[in-house]
Amino acid sequence: MSTLSQRPRPRTRLSLRQGRRGLLYLVLLGGGLIWLYPFLWALGSSLKSTDGFFSGGLNPIPSEFHWSNYSEAWTQADFGRFFVNTVLFATGTVIVTLLATSMAGYVLARTDFPGKKLWLGLVGVTLFLPHGYTIIPVFDLIQRLHLLNTLWSVVIVQSAGGMVFGTFLFMGYFTTIDRGLEDAARVDGANFHQIFWRIMLPLSGPMLATVGLFACINAWNSFFIPLVFTLSRPELHTLSVGMFNFIGQNSTAWTLVCAGSVITLAPIVLIFVVLQRFFINGLAGAVKQ
Amino acid sequence: MSLLDTRERRRASPPPPPVAVRPGLGRRIRAAKWSYLYLAPMAVLLLAFVVYPIFASFGYTFYRWNGIGAPGDYVGLANFRQILHDGIFWGAVGHTFVYAFVLVPVQLLLALALALVLNNPKLKFALFFRTVYFIPVVTSAAVVGVVIQLMLANFGDSAGSLLAKTGVGDGQIDWLGDPHTALAVIIAIGIWHTLGYNLVYFLAGLQTIPAELYEAAKLDGCGPVQSFFRITIPMLRQVGVVIVVLAFIGSFQVFDLVQVLTGGGPYFATEVVNTYIYHLAFGGSAGAAAQPDIGLASAASFLYGLLLIVFSALQVLALRGISRRRTVANQ
Repeated sequence: MSTLSQRPRPRTRLSLRQGRRGLLYLVLLGGGLIWLYPFLWALGSSLKSTDGFFSGGLNPIPSEFHWSNYSEAWTQADFGRFFVNTVLFATGTVIVTLLATSMAGYVLARTDFPGKKLWLGLVGVTLFLPHGYTIIPVFDLIQRLHLLNTLWSVVIVQSAGGMVFGTFLFMGYFTTIDRGLEDAARVDGANFHQIFWRIMLPLSGPMLATVGLFACINAWNSFFIPLVFTLSRPELHTLSVGMFNFIGQNSTAWTLVCAGSVITLAPIVLIFVVLQRFFINGLAGAVKQ
Repeated sequence: MSLLDTRERRRASPPPPPVAVRPGLGRRIRAAKWSYLYLAPMAVLLLAFVVYPIFASFGYTFYRWNGIGAPGDYVGLANFRQILHDGIFWGAVGHTFVYAFVLVPVQLLLALALALVLNNPKLKFALFFRTVYFIPVVTSAAVVGVVIQLMLANFGDSAGSLLAKTGVGDGQIDWLGDPHTALAVIIAIGIWHTLGYNLVYFLAGLQTIPAELYEAAKLDGCGPVQSFFRITIPMLRQVGVVIVVLAFIGSFQVFDLVQVLTGGGPYFATEVVNTYIYHLAFGGSAGAAAQPDIGLASAASFLYGLLLIVFSALQVLALRGISRRRTVANQ
């Protein structure tokens, strides 16, 4: 007792502060657990037996581990093919999006031309308009271009949907780059193309990563567009579409559905965790301006 | 020095032409040919797959058309009349607005609180927590919706039976099947799914506030609560307006989550505008027509688009007004 009262004051205050900080970490961890719980549950349930799945309920921990659920989901639902399709689709979308948005973002940020303001206004308005169900005219257009039931159609339509946001991000980024760089290059005899491809584009690494990752995530998760444009060619389906086929056909194999969910979600979560530094900082940078 | 320079230069060179005449439009267009070329890929994609479809679907609003073949049955404004008189449409508008007006404030408050905590440079593992809270954003609403639907099903130790153990309910809560709870559950899941975006936006906003402001306030005897209301909130105002507008735009477009979790049911209790339009266009259980009707769907989407444009304009004007008045008051 006496030792307690003899403690110098600052230390008591410190331990109080430490206690408060400990509580803060506890709250953050608890919230984080809630935030990740659906993923943990899907992961656990993907390893359960069918009986264990129904008796386990919300408990994510399987009583016995059925690794075979994964091989079964992979072969039964043709996930290998869907996986390849998804990778091709996402890669194509990232390339088209990066090329189109970086070039557009550059000229909108750095050059002046008649009609620029009008174009910017139009682009801004499309952000507000609902256009999820304009799928019928888009379908019609793709059909007339003879692209229906190709992965190209899915790539093009998906890229077009993400174009505005990416262009705005690049615009914001290019306006922050020092104008002196371009002037110096021009004095050295660099032309318009050299300035963009040799100087501005290599400088925009963080934004390329941000917009590219954004396009990749959106393409990987896209459901409606790949579904509609590959309706009569099931061998072109992507993972998220393939998973829903699977639910329709085997509505009782819920453990396999969970394995399918993990196969569908894991790669993109992994890519995000590896590249998240770019992603979050890039978004943050765009908000700052 | 510069004065001397210009004087000397003036003396050396002949006087410049009075006012530089703005070159003609054709000339300016020709001079900017590379700009147009670089803009072209984005412009073509956007015009073809975003802008053209909006106008094309307006053309469909005058026809009764099931989407097969060419539209032929001209009905004038009948589609608009039918949508305006459809209670389910207005119900869907109501649900979408309830979704947005509950989700946005709750989520923004949560995101702001979390951002304030995670912005503290002394906090350890801030990057880890940021990643954890952002992960749902990365995952598809469609797949996550299936998983959550399974989680909420009544088997084993379900959420309902756990509640029953604490004395609430009889253990068989049909979260998504009960018209009274379904919309609330969807809103909660919506908050969970998209919180990460607003967390990052707020973090970015907080980073733009110079640390010296807080230090000066501390020297003047400001507590943390005071500096929050006197510095953080006013400094976040500009970013805040963007965040609020974006959050509303996103909420008004909600589709995947509702479609996967309830399909708009039970008894249209969770029907939002986008699922309503989807059901009109592609058939299905809900909506005014049992048969797919692109004309009706296009009319509904056109009306909703108008509603959103009006609402967005009002929102931007109101937020601008508020921030202008506050700026004046602060001076």
